[in-house]
Amino acid sequence: MRSPASAALRRARRLARKRFTDPARKRGLLVAFEGPDGSGKTTQRKLFKTWLKSEGYDVVTTKWNSSDLIKPIIKSRKAVRALSPEEFSLLHGADFRHRVEQVILPALWEGKLVIADRFLFTGLARDVARGLDLDWVLKLYQPLLWPDLVFYFAVSPVTSGKRVTATRMPSFYEAGQDITDVDDPVESYQRFITRVIREYESLALIFNFITVDAEQSIGEQHRLIRALFLEGQQRPWSKWNVDAVAEWLALDGARR
Amino acid sequence: MRRADTAKPRLIAVDGVEASAVLAAAKAALAASTPGAPAARGGISRWDASGIFQDLAVADDEAGVPSARTLLLLYAADLAFRLRWQIRPALAEGRTVVVAPYVDTAVAFGRAAGLQAAWLTNLFSFAPRAAERHFVHVREAHATGAKGGFAAFACDRTGGGADSRNSRRLLEETAARLRRADKGRTLRGGRSSPKPLL
Repeated sequence: MRSPASAALRRARRLARKRFTDPARKRGLLVAFEGPDGSGKTTQRKLFKTWLKSEGYDVVTTKWNSSDLIKPIIKSRKAVRALSPEEFSLLHGADFRHRVEQVILPALWEGKLVIADRFLFTGLARDVARGLDLDWVLKLYQPLLWPDLVFYFAVSPVTSGKRVTATRMPSFYEAGQDITDVDDPVESYQRFITRVIREYESLALIFNFITVDAEQSIGEQHRLIRALFLEGQQRPWSKWNVDAVAEWLALDGARR
Repeated sequence: MRRADTAKPRLIAVDGVEASAVLAAAKAALAASTPGAPAARGGISRWDASGIFQDLAVADDEAGVPSARTLLLLYAADLAFRLRWQIRPALAEGRTVVVAPYVDTAVAFGRAAGLQAAWLTNLFSFAPRAAERHFVHVREAHATGAKGGFAAFACDRTGGGADSRNSRRLLEETAARLRRADKGRTLRGGRSSPKPLL
């Protein structure tokens, strides 16, 4: 049976395809920065954004777990350590979906460049490190929105641990204490981040991330990112993105 | 003869769009499931035990309107909470739990909103199968003033307000999907209650 919602989705899919294949249209770009805590990706993201703006790009930044709607819900539950791995995963998936619909896709549709400080791969790496099934978690994020470029900032678990604990104590969930059963946050973090990095490394292979050696100097990393961006920005939009864009258009159709 | 107080613990699902009717049916199902054995009754697990939707309801308008997909991810998070703190502990203690609503209401809403069945099946794959599934139907969902439950909340949020045509249409479509799910289950030989609960 076909509902009115399905008919709207079919119309939106046609509109999305047309937009994707129109060479006269300036399309947006989506660049994701991924990596474990302490890998320096936020520093690189800020440098990259400054450079892009100097080059004339209209840049929008979105961070992990930052939607105005869902973030307070997650924050209050983290504070009382009330989340199971499934709840943790589902709530972060909801936060991501809301940002895709409210921030990322509107900006891309307007031809802006979106930098995502962490993307859905953060959810995958952390949730699988918490024992959840990769296939189940990946499907939560459907319809998938693929970035044009994913920079993965690779560091060892030891480096990540040293950098994170040099200035602060890892929080309960950051340290993975919900699943390690280790009382010491630093020790727990070391165990948990080892698992997270193992998952990231698998994802880097599966999804063809651009790996940046995050143990290099900040300047070297930044120069490499600029060069790789200039090479990579001409890629066509992934066909995978049609479904994600079409669903958003169908939701937001009246305004397009 | 089997003693009532050694009855096997069961997860009983009651689904529908009309919250007050679903609750009444849940109470009837609980009473019918363990006649003469109150100690074996685990109680009723209701929507939003986690308070997620209560928090959502008081969020600023500027935070943006959640889509059907976002609401269903939140529903699944709430259900995971209910399973962890209410349903599984009660079953482990040998009690019967009536879950009202369970998965069918959410799936019906998702399908009415145009989401794919495969995505919904994956989303709720962590939820154990109910030993019994009951459906509470209404002839015209919007005409009954269905409110207070997940279906009405979700249709209201995604359809543009309780009084909007879209919301009413979505609620009717959700109710129709539940009727079809009930009919399909009966045709496939699924277990249903011998007598109507209400």
